[in-house]
Amino acid sequence: MVSVNGVSKSFDGKRQVTALEQIDLQVARGEMLSIVGPSGSGKSTLLNLLGGLDRPTTGEIRIDGQNIARLSDDDLTRLRRDKIGFIFQFFNLLPSLSCMENVALPLHLKGIAKRETTVRARELLDLVQLGHRLDHLPDELSGGERQRVAIARALAFHPPILLADEPTGNLDSHTGAEILKLILDLHGRMGATVLIVTHDAGVAASCPRTVTLRDGRVAGDVRR
Amino acid sequence: MILLWLISWPYARKHLVRWVLTIGGIVLGVALLVGMYTANQSVLEAFNRTVEHIAGKTQLQVSAGDGGFAEEVLERVQSDADVSAAAPVIEQVVDSGFKGQGKLLILAVDMTGDRSLRDYDLEGGDQDVMDDPLVFLAQPDSLILTRDFAARNGLESGSKLAMKTMEGDRQFTVRGILRSGGMTSAFGGNLAIMDIYAAQKFFGMGRRFDRIDIGLRDGVSLEAGQASLRKVLGPGFEVEPPSGRGQQFESLMGVYSMTMNLASVFALFIGTFIIYNSFAIAVTQRRAEIGILRALGATRGQIRALFLGESAVAGLMGSALGIGLGLLMAQGLTASTNAFMEGVMGVSANADHMLVRPWLLITAAAVGVITSMVAAFLPARAAARVDPVKALQKGQYQVLSAGENRRRRTAALVAIAIAAGCIVFGRSTAVFYTGYFLAMLAMLLLTPALSLYLSKLLRGPLKWIRPVEGALAADSLIQSPRRTSATVAALMLSLALVIALGGMARASYAEIAEWMDSTMNPDFFVTTSQNISQRTFHFPDSMLDGLRQIPGVAEVQPVRIVRTDFRGKPVMVVGIDSLSIARRTRNRRITAGDFDGMYRTLAEQKGIIIADNLAQLEKLKLGQTLEVATPTGALRLPIVGILKDYSNQLGTIFIDRELYRKRWKDDSVDVFRIYLAPGANAADVKARILDGFARERRLFVLSNKEVRSYVFKVTDQWFGMTYLQLFVAVLVAILGIVNTLTVSITDRRRELGVLRAVGGLRNQIRHTIWMEALAIGIVGLVLGIAAGALNLYYMLTVSRENFAGIALDYTFPFGIVAVLVPVILGAAFGSALFPAESAVRSSLVEALEYE
Repeated sequence: MVSVNGVSKSFDGKRQVTALEQIDLQVARGEMLSIVGPSGSGKSTLLNLLGGLDRPTTGEIRIDGQNIARLSDDDLTRLRRDKIGFIFQFFNLLPSLSCMENVALPLHLKGIAKRETTVRARELLDLVQLGHRLDHLPDELSGGERQRVAIARALAFHPPILLADEPTGNLDSHTGAEILKLILDLHGRMGATVLIVTHDAGVAASCPRTVTLRDGRVAGDVRR
Repeated sequence: MILLWLISWPYARKHLVRWVLTIGGIVLGVALLVGMYTANQSVLEAFNRTVEHIAGKTQLQVSAGDGGFAEEVLERVQSDADVSAAAPVIEQVVDSGFKGQGKLLILAVDMTGDRSLRDYDLEGGDQDVMDDPLVFLAQPDSLILTRDFAARNGLESGSKLAMKTMEGDRQFTVRGILRSGGMTSAFGGNLAIMDIYAAQKFFGMGRRFDRIDIGLRDGVSLEAGQASLRKVLGPGFEVEPPSGRGQQFESLMGVYSMTMNLASVFALFIGTFIIYNSFAIAVTQRRAEIGILRALGATRGQIRALFLGESAVAGLMGSALGIGLGLLMAQGLTASTNAFMEGVMGVSANADHMLVRPWLLITAAAVGVITSMVAAFLPARAAARVDPVKALQKGQYQVLSAGENRRRRTAALVAIAIAAGCIVFGRSTAVFYTGYFLAMLAMLLLTPALSLYLSKLLRGPLKWIRPVEGALAADSLIQSPRRTSATVAALMLSLALVIALGGMARASYAEIAEWMDSTMNPDFFVTTSQNISQRTFHFPDSMLDGLRQIPGVAEVQPVRIVRTDFRGKPVMVVGIDSLSIARRTRNRRITAGDFDGMYRTLAEQKGIIIADNLAQLEKLKLGQTLEVATPTGALRLPIVGILKDYSNQLGTIFIDRELYRKRWKDDSVDVFRIYLAPGANAADVKARILDGFARERRLFVLSNKEVRSYVFKVTDQWFGMTYLQLFVAVLVAILGIVNTLTVSITDRRRELGVLRAVGGLRNQIRHTIWMEALAIGIVGLVLGIAAGALNLYYMLTVSRENFAGIALDYTFPFGIVAVLVPVILGAAFGSALFPAESAVRSSLVEALEYE
């Protein structure tokens, strides 16, 4: 499903900084893996590349056989919209939109008809047990509830790939556990390929496979 | 100073584009101020230089308006014991006949006596002309030119020069060239000397002079000389030193420059808003930075000084650029002022270079700096009051507090109540202007609340157009009232002025069109120049019978127009054939009096009729006795009628032609108004007139359509300000909206990043920015139209009471609004293009704030 071959990423600033160096990684369809490593090891950079939010300096990334490095910005965006669900650490909900509107956002962006969008958004919020909070604004929700809304949004097009960057990093342990349970549950039900970047050993351990990054390189790849 | 370098400079460098846009308003205001003032001073200085150089040793000048006076006045002047020299003068401005050389000032003098007042330093060989003045008298086609003019046009002694005269085109012979120096620099060097008696013939002046230049005996003071001459001449004559003409010219220019000064003040006012907006936003964005500085020990005073220092630098930069732009504009404005003074006021200056006064530049710089610092005062004070603890916390900071909103609304309601009271109960100018100011202040105070309300109203339609982009665009405005409302306020004020000027223009057009239909309704106007306002040449009265006998001509009305001093201002006195005019202008609008009665009394020479604007400006009423200066003494007659007339901005007095002839001792004519007989062929009649008269004299036959077109063209010059202000409004819209959007994109970086992350295409990002800009434009338009409707009422009152005395009907300029809507929305859209591109090209990862 996801194939990373010889990928490097450097950032040009006052000095050039290499965040990733010669990364090779293969992720099968339906697989769930965690990416761990110390701060600055390149975990989030790798996730950004896999999600099409950024482009590698060298190397190749294939999603479902398609080399995403060669795609135009619009094509990359469409890929991200239709095939990749992104769950952020800080939720990234739009504060002026209600839960329903936030979840419906990708659907509207694709131009799906309003009626269908409304039905789908309701379904997704029911899936994450927030059907009773349709018209609430994000700042009326708890941290856990906001992350649920973000997860519901990420599932708008039943993406085959789900990327989660520290999904529990901004939550207390109890809420974090609930969110992890939700992600595991959705993985089991929908069969999506899930990659989770995390600092949390417990979260890492709950995934069948853990890839460790250190200094921008793959330092370990453990399957349980 | 160190804080400016450490803190302010990095911020300015990071937001350079916004910095430039911020000072744009100051640049415009200062540029208009410098440009207009420089142009005015250049034209005034050129005029004064001409007057001074031509005056020579002249100490006093006798004149009687621009109609001149009879030759015998010279003898009366010469009989005054205090007078040592008295030289008659005719001074006229004509086309030079050379391409690109403009006008030529003809100074016609009596060579036998003029050398006692003026030096004529001719080049060698030409001195005979001076030594034997009869050379001039014997050869009336003689001209003396300046070396400068002759050199520019390849002329020497003996060269021929063609000029248009009342007797048609004539060839003149250059008899002498004046050496450079002295009066040769008058009128930019475009000066020609002619014999005065030849000039009388060529300009159709009969036996009249324009003025007499006087030298006093040794020991006689100016005041004593003035008193003595006024006693000899009686009322009806002005006896002033040459500098008096400059003062009069200056006051005429004041009428013209008032409108440009208004534009300059408005641009600075709007610049104030743009700077206030930018600094208010900057303070909000830099709260954390301010919190850190305060936590580290910076006092409130230091924080306040920091922001005021930034604003002073902004003002200085704006002033510097504005001064440069203003000096560039001054060139065009000088030509425009020249043309206006000549075309409308009938005085020519021929300013050929710009006069740049150092104190003006210093003043302009000070104005820019002070305006900027005043604008930044409230944000600087807010910055000084930032709580360091709260500033270092995350959270919403854009919302206007409920308390602040309430205070503004209360203040607005109080201002509205007082303004309404001023309208209903006010009787004085001070009360009126207080009401005007308060009404505009109320609009400004209500702008944030009204902007918010309109933004909320717009959310539905915008969301309907584009569910995501539209909703986000509206939300951006709703959530950031402080960011939006200052831009909207600046746009509102700007549009208010456009609509007011447009309304006045539309009403003026309607009034002038009606006046043209009812009064300027002859089929032909026979004039001495191609435009009806120039009165360099005059027709003899004897042409009247000849014109009447032309087949196809039903009626001929001779008209003489002169300017004379009335309460210190040059008003027009028009001598008309009263009963004939009355028959042909029955539809004319009367303000006071009975139509038939007034003209009958006029014909009996027992009364005068005045224009409505003169009555308004000078607070005159029907029945009041007016005293008008004439060359034969003061004319005192009652006002028997007041009517709408747009001949002269400063007012017009109508008297019967016979009375004019008697009192001014002048039977020349400026215009013959010709009515055709029914069924007469206009082209044939015109041909007959030209055939009969144009061979031997300078004569133009203008159709009613041509005169109409000229009058509206002159009106356009006044209301060119509307178009200038429209340009300013568009500039304000662009400056304000680009500024606001640039900040909006910064504030919404994460939001826009999320949009892209979940699948928003670049075009969709662009759409949300464009829609935000259009929403600002719509809100600005709605409020601007409302403010414009109010402003129009006030400006019509100002026009009536203080400006030109013209009472115009309130006519809302829907046509202008129809133009404004697409222009402002187009400008808003254009303003959004660059910020939108900047939004789509920024790094997605940085927008989402990852490690």
